[in-house]
Amino acid sequence: MEASSTLAPTPATTLVPPTAGGRSLHRFANPGRFLRIAARAQPWLTGVALAASLVGLGWGLFWAPADWQQGDAVRIMFVHVPAAWLASFGYLALAACSVASLIWRHPLADLAAAEIGPVGAGFTALCLVTGSLWGKPMWGAWWVWDARLTSVLVLFFLYLGHIALVRAFDDPVRGYRAGAILALVGAVNVPIIKFSVDWWNTLHQPASITLTGAPTMAAAMLWPLLMVAIGFQFAFLALVVARLRAAVIERRMRGLLMARAAGA
Amino acid sequence: MTHLPYIAGAYGLTLVLAVGFGLSAAIRLSRARKRLAAIDPRAGR
Amino acid sequence: MIRKMGTRKKRRMAVLLACGLGLGSATVLTLSAFRDTLVFFVAPSDMASKAPGPGRVFRLGGLVESGSLRRGMEDSRPDARFRITDGAATVEVTYVGILPDLFREGQGVVTLGTLERDGVFHAREVLAKHDETYMPKDVADALRKSGRWNPASGPPPQAALWNTLGAAKP
Repeated sequence: MEASSTLAPTPATTLVPPTAGGRSLHRFANPGRFLRIAARAQPWLTGVALAASLVGLGWGLFWAPADWQQGDAVRIMFVHVPAAWLASFGYLALAACSVASLIWRHPLADLAAAEIGPVGAGFTALCLVTGSLWGKPMWGAWWVWDARLTSVLVLFFLYLGHIALVRAFDDPVRGYRAGAILALVGAVNVPIIKFSVDWWNTLHQPASITLTGAPTMAAAMLWPLLMVAIGFQFAFLALVVARLRAAVIERRMRGLLMARAAGA
Repeated sequence: MTHLPYIAGAYGLTLVLAVGFGLSAAIRLSRARKRLAAIDPRAGR
Repeated sequence: MIRKMGTRKKRRMAVLLACGLGLGSATVLTLSAFRDTLVFFVAPSDMASKAPGPGRVFRLGGLVESGSLRRGMEDSRPDARFRITDGAATVEVTYVGILPDLFREGQGVVTLGTLERDGVFHAREVLAKHDETYMPKDVADALRKSGRWNPASGPPPQAALWNTLGAAKP
């Protein structure tokens, strides 16, 4: 892998001259095309994210009914559960970018992975803190070391490790390779999070919403929850796309400055 | 509303994170675009 | 060059797949080896095989048996006696202190404490384990009134039923 990485095109040569066309997967590798598509998609992503999140959170906070035994504390669920979904989704996206980076040396995948990391870590932190705020009044404890809580904490540390690793090398390509390997090794944690509540007895309750069965949640609580989930999903996309646009422009700028310094 | 401090904490943190991440992304993007336009006016599409 | 890149990509894909398979099976083996130690709490019917000896601290979890809760006072501190059951076996528990809001008969709880020689579990911490059902108060009341569910006896019926209940209520 080391020998082939030296053959990989350097950022300056791939990104500065825009190449026309390309094969299926490399269609979006052209940063100029990515910037054009992303600039057009950005207002829609941001708009849906803001609208759905605000409607869903307001609905959950003010109109959704209180739970018969948890009272109003159940409203924390409308933040906690979508944040938990996005924490796992973000890591899967990170792993997908890492595969594209390691196998196809996709130039945008490296940048995307570096930008997904902080956003995913943000959603994981939100999930952990809101879970703690929910656990104290309901369970009677801020934190317990059961399989679900521990595996999500591991996910948070994986995100932090990835963030640090991709930025730790002088040669960014080495950082991207190391980060991609860490992300893929850590991906085994995602199914562990998902099934921890079924495989082991935990204090955390099992999932209320599954692909196979009917949700064990009243419809009046389910709708705002799904609304926030849509809002958070679009917020994740909008944030990553905005950060990725900035990263592509910054990289192009570095390439231009380097080419200018070399040519002058 | 029962458990108000916990609920306020959860929704407050959501707001803080949303504003923080949103603003930082917007500022970083606009700054990058301005700097690129200053170096290479052709790129300011 | 293009053809060469193709074989290189295939090789990288194969290496990645092999690593994934190796890592995945290693994880599965490790997790199944640690299956018993990763358990957060012990159920009453596993007590004979899994619980440590008298005086050793461990977590006991299950449902609070219906009709078993006795509240009292001990030196001006609230004192509770109840039984924890998992259907197959039952353990007597005592606890001195304030129980969490969600504590009730029929509720899942996880307690931390020691099993004494008299066969009573002395809890020093009681955590309520709420289940995965979420329903408004009026739905819970309607289910109780119509006799379809007694919260002290176990989990509520199918969720599909509650959502039509509000309208069908007399």
